[in-house]
Amino acid sequence: MNEHLPAAQQDVTLLELVDRVLNKGVVLTGDITLAVADVDLVYVGLRVLLASVATLEEAEPGAR
Amino acid sequence: MLYLYALSEPPTTAPDVPGLDDTKLDVERAGEIDAVVSVLDRTRVEPSEKAILDHARVVDRLAESNDAVLPARFGRGFADAAALRAAVAERAADLERALDLVRGCAEVSLRALAPGGGAGTPAGSGRDYMRARLGEQRRTQRLAGELHEPLAAIARTATKSVGTGSELVFSAAYLVPREAIDDFNAQVARLGGDHPDVTLACTGPWPPYSFATVEPGSG
Amino acid sequence: MTRQDDEKLLYAAGDLHALAAELDRVGTAFPRRINADPEHVERGLAQLVLTLVELLRQLMERQALRRMESGTLTDEEVERLGETFMKLEQRMEELKRQFELEDRDLNLNLGPLGDLL
Repeated sequence: MNEHLPAAQQDVTLLELVDRVLNKGVVLTGDITLAVADVDLVYVGLRVLLASVATLEEAEPGAR
Repeated sequence: MLYLYALSEPPTTAPDVPGLDDTKLDVERAGEIDAVVSVLDRTRVEPSEKAILDHARVVDRLAESNDAVLPARFGRGFADAAALRAAVAERAADLERALDLVRGCAEVSLRALAPGGGAGTPAGSGRDYMRARLGEQRRTQRLAGELHEPLAAIARTATKSVGTGSELVFSAAYLVPREAIDDFNAQVARLGGDHPDVTLACTGPWPPYSFATVEPGSG
Repeated sequence: MTRQDDEKLLYAAGDLHALAAELDRVGTAFPRRINADPEHVERGLAQLVLTLVELLRQLMERQALRRMESGTLTDEEVERLGETFMKLEQRMEELKRQFELEDRDLNLNLGPLGDLL
């Protein structure tokens, strides 16, 4: 089925696809996470940290 | 569970493929927006390769025959249609803005890897180390700019991130009007020719996953 | 895999094996699980701690480079910072080896915030 593309190219397109489906796309409030994800707890805490760091970086003179 | 694949601008042509677990796809109207869903007979979904590909197939086919589609992230569902409608209603303005943005466009991804980037730590003084890192960072950012600017000019909008301390120099997603995709590809090929030492991978057209994210609480 | 994959590659040049490996390393694929198995709690904790340390190291390094560029660091400060980052990197390598952790294990996939590292 996939003899058309060499393995490395298949890997890249699959990784791109998985990245999009798992990490991007709309998330509505009020929805239920059906997918099993062990890291959710850590994620919630770190999210706050990173959001504040990002704001800090933007405020720095000379920041991109 | 009502599993969500994507939101779409009505009228929506439902894809002729099954959803996860071979379920039948439905289109639920939520205010002014359509939601493509299927009823799953379970409360958890593992992100297995099969499930991910099933989800992706639905969204892909949906984007082929519908002009404005917002892919939903994998693994999200609702107790019932009422819950779905409430969630959509809560963010209706943002969602309609997002649909407006992506209408008629597809997402194209670019990843670039420079040779010798992120090379091992130079043995030497602290100053040598900092200089090497600074040089690396400057080269990375310059290359990223050379790749990004001509492509961003063709796209309606774009995301962009430049690698830090790793070999992945540059990663970006472009929202490109469908009629400009050939032009975009030609530009990528040109850039590839201009930078023979850089590893480039351009993939797409994807449904606009990277431009569907609507931040909670955004105005 | 689906037939879509063939159509999704628009252009490719160079070392795609390396690119695929790098994409995998930055965790674009399946989310990294923090190992909470009671038999491997120590390794799971090490994984978490080292990930955070690596994150902070990169953030601090980036900030230091910015200040270096804008000329607000003395030569002595540059030297000290550089030495600190180098030593930290070395220590991280040792700890990774000790706990049998790869670079890819230190990458927390945070969903909408993208990858940490």
